[in-house]
Amino acid sequence: MLKIYVTSVPVADQDKALDFYTRILGFIKKTEVPLGEHKWLTVVSPDEQSGVELLLEPMAFEPAKVYQQSLKEAGIPWTSFAVDDIEKEYQRLLDLGVEFSMPPREAGTVKIALLDDTCGNYIQLMQEL
Amino acid sequence: MPNRPKTFFESELERIYSEIPLRPEHYLQVRQSKVFMEKFYTSKISLHDLAKAAFMSRFHYVRIFQRMYGLTPRTYLRDLRISKAKTLIKKGIPITQACYDVGYESLPTFSSVFKKCTGYSPKNYQQLHKSNLE
Repeated sequence: MLKIYVTSVPVADQDKALDFYTRILGFIKKTEVPLGEHKWLTVVSPDEQSGVELLLEPMAFEPAKVYQQSLKEAGIPWTSFAVDDIEKEYQRLLDLGVEFSMPPREAGTVKIALLDDTCGNYIQLMQEL
Repeated sequence: MPNRPKTFFESELERIYSEIPLRPEHYLQVRQSKVFMEKFYTSKISLHDLAKAAFMSRFHYVRIFQRMYGLTPRTYLRDLRISKAKTLIKKGIPITQACYDVGYESLPTFSSVFKKCTGYSPKNYQQLHKSNLE
C-alpha cells in the first residue's frame, strides 16, 4: 500500500522557516539532515508525530520562484492546515504578530483564513463546519 | 483589517460558492445532523435520526449531505467512529472497549471496518502505536 508521508512548502530561508513553523505555528521539528548547502528539514503536528511530515523545502530552482510568487500575488494559498477552532487560532496567531490576507470566513462546509508564512507563501487554515 | 482589493483567490471563492445551488439553511440544517453524530456516535444512530436532526426527509437529507461533503452520512459516521476509535486505542484503551465505546455492537464488524479505513487491524494499530511510544 502506498502512503503519503511527506508534503512540502517552498521556503527562501530554511532556518527562518523552521522558526515560524515551530515557534509560531506550533509544529515540531522531526528531521534535519544536512544535504549540500541545504538540508532535509521536516516538521510534524504535535498531535500526529507519526503522521505526514511537512518538508520546508529550499527554494533553489528559479522557475519555482516565479510560480511561488505568482501564487502569492493572486492570493492563492500554497497549502492548507486543519484546525479545530479557527477563530481561536486566528486570534492566537494575530497576537503573535502573524499577518492574514483573509480573516476567517465561511465557504460552504468549511471556515477558512489565509495567513502569510513570511517565507513567500500564503497558508490556508481550515475548520470543517 | 483595512479595506483592500479582493485577490484573485477571494474572487474565485465567491464566484464558485455563489454558483452552488444549495441554500444557506441547508448548510445549517446538515450541520445540526453532524452535531447529532458527534453527540451520539457512541450509540446506535439511524438515518431517520439524522434526517430528523436536519429537519429533512431521509431522501433529501442523504442527497444534500452527499452534495456538501462528497460522501454519504453513513460513510461520514463510519469515519467519525473509526477516528474516535483510533484516539482511544492510542490512549491504551482495550480494543473491545474501544469497539463498544464508538457505537459498534460487534467486534468482527468493527475490526473489518477499522482495517478497511486505516489499512491496519485494530491489534496491529495498537502494536504500531505501542512501538512508536517505545
